[in-house]
Amino acid sequence: MISVTLKNLKKYFGEVRAVDNLNLQIGEGEFMALLGPSGCGKTTTLLTIAGFYKPTAGEVYFNDRMVNDIPPRSRNIGMVFQSYALYPHMNVLDNIAFPLKLKKQPKKVWRKKAVEVAKLLQIDDLLDRMPAQLSGGQQQRVALARALIKQPQLLLLDEPLSNLDAKLRIVMRAELKRLQKDLGITTIFVTHDQMEAMTMADRIAVLKSGKLQQVGTPDELYDEPANVFVASFIGTPPMNFIRGSLLKSGSSYVFECEHFRILLDEVVVQKIRRFPVTNNVILGIRPEDVEMGRGEIKGEIYVVEPMGRDTLVTVKFGDVYIKVLTSSTVKYSIGENVSLSFKSDKVQLFDGETEESLYVKGRDER
Amino acid sequence: MRRWIPYILLVLIALPFLVMYVGFFMQAFGEGMHLGIIPEKFGFSNFRFLWQPIAWGLGKTTIWVTLLNTLIFACVSGAIVTVVCMLAGYALSRIEFKGRDFFMILQLFLHAVPGHILLIAIFFLLFYLKLLHRIPGVALARASLEIPLGVWIAKGFFDSIPWDIERSAMIDGCTRLQVWYKIFLPLVKPGIAAVFIWGFLFAWHDFIYVYTLLPGTVKLLSTLIQSLIATEVIDYGYLAALSVFYMVPPLVLFVYLQKALLKVPIFGGKGL
Ligand SMILES: Nc1ncnc2c1ncn2[C@@H]1O[C@H](COP(=O)(O)OP(=O)(O)OP(=O)(O)O)[C@@H](O)[C@H]1O
Ligand SMILES: [Mg+2]
Repeated sequence: MISVTLKNLKKYFGEVRAVDNLNLQIGEGEFMALLGPSGCGKTTTLLTIAGFYKPTAGEVYFNDRMVNDIPPRSRNIGMVFQSYALYPHMNVLDNIAFPLKLKKQPKKVWRKKAVEVAKLLQIDDLLDRMPAQLSGGQQQRVALARALIKQPQLLLLDEPLSNLDAKLRIVMRAELKRLQKDLGITTIFVTHDQMEAMTMADRIAVLKSGKLQQVGTPDELYDEPANVFVASFIGTPPMNFIRGSLLKSGSSYVFECEHFRILLDEVVVQKIRRFPVTNNVILGIRPEDVEMGRGEIKGEIYVVEPMGRDTLVTVKFGDVYIKVLTSSTVKYSIGENVSLSFKSDKVQLFDGETEESLYVKGRDER
Repeated sequence: MRRWIPYILLVLIALPFLVMYVGFFMQAFGEGMHLGIIPEKFGFSNFRFLWQPIAWGLGKTTIWVTLLNTLIFACVSGAIVTVVCMLAGYALSRIEFKGRDFFMILQLFLHAVPGHILLIAIFFLLFYLKLLHRIPGVALARASLEIPLGVWIAKGFFDSIPWDIERSAMIDGCTRLQVWYKIFLPLVKPGIAAVFIWGFLFAWHDFIYVYTLLPGTVKLLSTLIQSLIATEVIDYGYLAALSVFYMVPPLVLFVYLQKALLKVPIFGGKGL
């Protein structure tokens, strides 16, 4: 297994900066997710690591070796493409065995290995089929088998689950994670689905417009987002944001907006690394960290969305809407007046101008 | 009653053509014709050119020499069209270079230029290249007329192969050349067949280039048929039989290659 290091990696297509000065290290055997919205440069990053694109600037290292000038076929990489890219004119067996056949391995050897990998992925009964006769999930497994058969030192997966239906996606999520742990192959997994990244990856790198926003474990990203973008991108339902100002009140601090003011907890104040020049800030709070029923923030219920175990309630304060995740045991109805409180140690604070976190941790990661 | 009217109209429109076709085959296979369409009996006497020499001005020729000439002419032309179009199509589909769009539009423009107006220029061109009066030379000139549109057809076939398939093959260990013959070649087989048929058919049916640029002593089927019409007494049965013979090879080729034409692969994966 290898580690992968990206140093000041840049890839421009004319004016478009698909990857903009990316620095990232992926450890041996690590499962790293590249997460970001459509068009943020995930596929481009992956294709650059694979060697299909020459970086505009910067280097790619496998272990300590700079690989910029090594062609894709010599990098010993397994890759599953967004479209699976099975060879339409070969049956499943030939598709899976293709990398070994290229190495001129005798038929007995490649046949045996292909059947083994097919068994591992539970597609050994499909070996005679042509790709066009397979379902999306089966095609995905064939593509994965073809990537695994040559025992690559690095596995690159480009949104391999995005073409599957919701149910199968959840099954494959777990299976893929288990497989990666069993084989221990260093893996870079591209996705725009934060849930996928959170559930599967050891660490997540969040990208936006080609720029790295934050790297960290799923918990770190969830609890200590580095900026508003990461905070809003990770977690469902997404975090609530409220614009306001930060005021000193005696020895403590108060967050004040048009409709309410809250005294900040001592824990929160200690986390603040620096105060914004203007006292313009954005307060973030996750729906599950808002408590209904008591507290000094008073509003009116705007809409109620039952989700089975939980209910998502939207509360309106003037022109501010806050989503609250509550247990379904208490029933609410539209128009009802309620009061809320925020779990004070879960509050996030961001600079109102730069949208960067004001906290110590999130920023020092980078 | 009403619903018959469209059919009656259609039959009326089709009738002249049907009569022509019936007459054509009657002429070819019939003997002792009345009114040009009703034969006394059927037979193969009109096909006597298959075993007899054909009168040719003051000399003679055989159908087999003519057929061979025509085949060489059409195959060479088809092969040139195929090679040039496949290579150009690949480049235009896969490689970014300056002036690519201009080149593509130029091809369409060139296609719009009728071949006949180039005849004199081509005559001199071939003359200086010492290719005039030779089958391969004229085949080259004929091929150049079909290349512009053929390039577009070939590009379309390459465009339909996703980049990811090519990349996937490279990841799996293919060199560029191996990608070509292990992945592209099998996938663009229908394209190759289509472009070859394209080049072959137009050359096979060509008259004006063959007539102008080849010497009278080198006969192709099209010029042979023309020379039979240009005599004082026309043997229509003989002419029709020869025309049937002229039709057969393209038909055979088409039937044989249509399987390849229809076998366009379906690319595995989402919406591709
Ligand atoms: N070959 C190319 N030529 C020009 N621009 C490109 C090329 N490939 C990608 N881009 C641009 O680079 C940016 C990043 O593209 P990329 O395919 O990496 O996005 P992505 O994050 O994989 O998106 P998605 O989730 O939709 O697959 C986009 O703005 C895209 O338009
Ligand atoms: Mg992508």
